[in-house]
Amino acid sequence: MSELNTSSSPAVTGPAHYVRRPGDEPPVQEAPIHAKRRPQYGQIVTGIVAIALLALFVQSQAQNPNMEWGVTWDYMFNPVVLQGVGVTIQLALFAMLISIALAFVIALMIQSNNKVASVIGRGYVWFFRGVPMLVQVLLWFNLAVLFPTILGQDTNTLISGFTAGLIALSLAESGYMAEIIRGGIISVPAGQTDAGVSIGLTRNQALARIVLPQSIRVIIPPTGNQFIGMLKATSLVSVIGGSDLLTRVQLIYGQNFKILPLLIVAVLWYLILVTVAGIGQHFLERRFNASQPGSRKPRKRTPGGRAAATTTTTTGGAQ
Amino acid sequence: MTQTAPAGIAADTMLRIDGVHKWLGNLHVLRGVDIQVRTGEIVCILGPSGSGKSTLLRCINHLDPVDGGVIEVNGERIGHELHGGQLFEQSERRVAKARQHIGMVFQHFNLFGHMTALDNVTYGPTRILGRPRKEAVAHARQLLAKVGLADKDASYPSQLSGGQQQRVAIARALAMEPRLMMFDEPTSALDPELVGEVLQTMRRVAEEGMTMVVVTHEVGFAREVADRVVFMDQGRVLEDGPAREVLDNPQHERTAAFLRRVH
Repeated sequence: MSELNTSSSPAVTGPAHYVRRPGDEPPVQEAPIHAKRRPQYGQIVTGIVAIALLALFVQSQAQNPNMEWGVTWDYMFNPVVLQGVGVTIQLALFAMLISIALAFVIALMIQSNNKVASVIGRGYVWFFRGVPMLVQVLLWFNLAVLFPTILGQDTNTLISGFTAGLIALSLAESGYMAEIIRGGIISVPAGQTDAGVSIGLTRNQALARIVLPQSIRVIIPPTGNQFIGMLKATSLVSVIGGSDLLTRVQLIYGQNFKILPLLIVAVLWYLILVTVAGIGQHFLERRFNASQPGSRKPRKRTPGGRAAATTTTTTGGAQ
Repeated sequence: MTQTAPAGIAADTMLRIDGVHKWLGNLHVLRGVDIQVRTGEIVCILGPSGSGKSTLLRCINHLDPVDGGVIEVNGERIGHELHGGQLFEQSERRVAKARQHIGMVFQHFNLFGHMTALDNVTYGPTRILGRPRKEAVAHARQLLAKVGLADKDASYPSQLSGGQQQRVAIARALAMEPRLMMFDEPTSALDPELVGEVLQTMRRVAEEGMTMVVVTHEVGFAREVADRVVFMDQGRVLEDGPAREVLDNPQHERTAAFLRRVH
């Protein structure tokens, strides 16, 4: 113990819990710290258990004759399935765009000074967020019962499964999006409205021109989540033959009775779409965070956060 | 009644606050406030927090509507108008029009976060007054230079210090070429070492003859720059007089006690 006093690096040679006594040299650390990480036993055990379970599952299913992986593979890029994937993407994209446009109007109505508009907006959200999406899909598909003709056209020819699905998904989603956008509007400090109004904007102008642009950053992340939800919600359209991915897969297994392999085809495609959307969301969020004024300059110099970190450390070392 | 300038109202009155009452919920915030400010005059309003100073400023440009009394800026009644003997609240557009001529600087700056300093200053002139962009930019650069921030035109508010933000906010208000400038505790949210630069900017604005109403705790600034000091307490004006008189020889014990505390 007494030799500790003369040791140049007591932290290395000392006991596990080193308490410096009066008169001892304080520890000095000049070299960069390369401390050894403690083994994470809990993590190792979890990993082993997870791998074992996964192996068990894969082994059992790989040999399950009912899975028929060959059939799954055959239909993965079948033109009918691919068309279904295309329809699903279209449905999700269009429904999302329409719902966002509607939602902006509804959110502004709810937030406006116009009491009537505000009540109408709240009623809209109450209805379209309240009725299950599946019920809305069925409602729109069966519109012909209420309105046999629209503008002189036969309703059933005018509103196909795709159109009915698109309308239902858009309206249902717009209820949620309106609340997300309203949340974004509320997140902007009231002082911004005060400032806009004090230079001569009306309250509504300040809302649209000063508050709304600043709420986008808050609105983007949950909108990404909603889009991923929408990709999956398109499958509801299958109940009215919306010719989306699930409709087509059901069509095929209705003929050849290979139910599970074809459902696996749908599972894989939905996972692929959701993964791509998730990656897109990541980049969108990073872009919108980067365009946040405070971090604009660093973003222009180095696109990646990690790259920025390494350049600063190397320049720091060179000086 | 403002056209003929009746007795007791000077012809060059810029701001006339007459018997103003204001309730916030059950709270009687302003209890009959009378203040007159003449063109070119610089009036500092002092008083303990909760005395109604900031509410009064917000009432002057109708950010908060008054519940009683009259506020006139340059002879024009703010917030309400008479139609056939019946008083109506003014339309949003009319109020907005009146606010164009009343500059306001806030305690928390409230710069538009999604715009650069230059865009903050040019926004009003181009989008509200409809000035040509080129002309507005030239004027904005002059104003930024005047507040000592000529090199910060491309900076966003989040890249500026509190003092710099407040100076941009002053430039933004001046860009509208207001008849009256109101400052709502402009240095209260600042780190102590940044207070000086903002006060310096305000001194410059004052030297150019701007009519100013300043709610502040900076007694030193009031003594040096203000023509008059108004002391408010519990929603009433306790003292109103030449700056040195009120500050050096207060008539009310509450004023004296307040001045001892802030000194």
